[in-house]
Amino acid sequence: MNDLGLHVGLFLLVIAVVVAVSCMFTEADDARALRLFPRRYATFVVVSAVVIVVMLVAEHTFASVS
Amino acid sequence: MAPAASQTAPEAPPSANTCALATWLVPGAGHFMLGDRRTALIGFLLIQGLYLAGVMLSDGMFLQVLPPEMRGRFAGALTPEAGNLGALLLQGRQVGFGDGVPRPFPDGLHLGMMLTSAAGILNLLLAARAHFDARARSGAVIEGAARHPGTCVLLGWLVPGSGHLMQGRVARGLVAFVLVVGLFALGTMLAEGTNLDRTRHFYYWAGQTFLGPIVFGAELANGHPMMTERPEYADAGVMLASIAGMLNVMLLLDVYGFSDAKLFGRPLFTEGSRGGAKEAAR
Repeated sequence: MNDLGLHVGLFLLVIAVVVAVSCMFTEADDARALRLFPRRYATFVVVSAVVIVVMLVAEHTFASVS
Repeated sequence: MAPAASQTAPEAPPSANTCALATWLVPGAGHFMLGDRRTALIGFLLIQGLYLAGVMLSDGMFLQVLPPEMRGRFAGALTPEAGNLGALLLQGRQVGFGDGVPRPFPDGLHLGMMLTSAAGILNLLLAARAHFDARARSGAVIEGAARHPGTCVLLGWLVPGSGHLMQGRVARGLVAFVLVVGLFALGTMLAEGTNLDRTRHFYYWAGQTFLGPIVFGAELANGHPMMTERPEYADAGVMLASIAGMLNVMLLLDVYGFSDAKLFGRPLFTEGSRGGAKEAAR
């Protein structure tokens, strides 16, 4: 847990690249691709956060050994 | 007036899919079928020459790098060499996983595997070129509307982003280069260079080869490090470097699609146009 900040920062950086390339792939116009980025990035982060919360709840509920 | 019985119908040209599949099996076969003997010969000699040189340097042992538990019938399917299917099948039949007697790897193993994997990827690019050339036979191509998609894709593999540059999309090309090469550099830094070794990470290494010769150069310069302990972020680094290569495949598809659409005079496939189509349908 000490590296939580580093992990989160790395995750945000990496998904920025993934989302940016996906925007370039789906939109041939540069300006439109740029406009797509914030919404897609936010969606990716929010959905990832939901998945993380579900995984943590499932782990805490079913896999905790404490 | 009915045609004379002695006249024969003109032979139908091979389909684009047939040309691409033929090239996948034998480099240059698609262009040979199209009558472009020069491209066929150059493609065949270059790609099979690279593959043969790689096999000779590595003693054909690239599949023997896999640990025994990973050696299956389709173990070679997810390798870049699968892009040169005929050669891979032949090598699998002749050498495969070896005769069961462990042998030391030759000194040229790593360089040889780089050459065989490069041959596989180059053959995929040649197959894509053959697919376009077959479709271009219809005569519907607008001359000079864009560079040949095969050339742009080849450049985009040699140096990520350069395919976009050749199409005049300078900003996109520069951003593409910074994104994928930066991600690869970050991954390599986190993995402390352990990603630059096929004997360590057979399939992740395959993913990063789609980033082109930059990866091979990095491996020749800093690959195969001797480690006394496992780097803390090795797994993350290896994965990021592999993702960078796969993202370059998306960029290559973007490059191909752009030139293809321009040359055939089709609208570019974009979210905007799809949205417009939906609105029009309402």
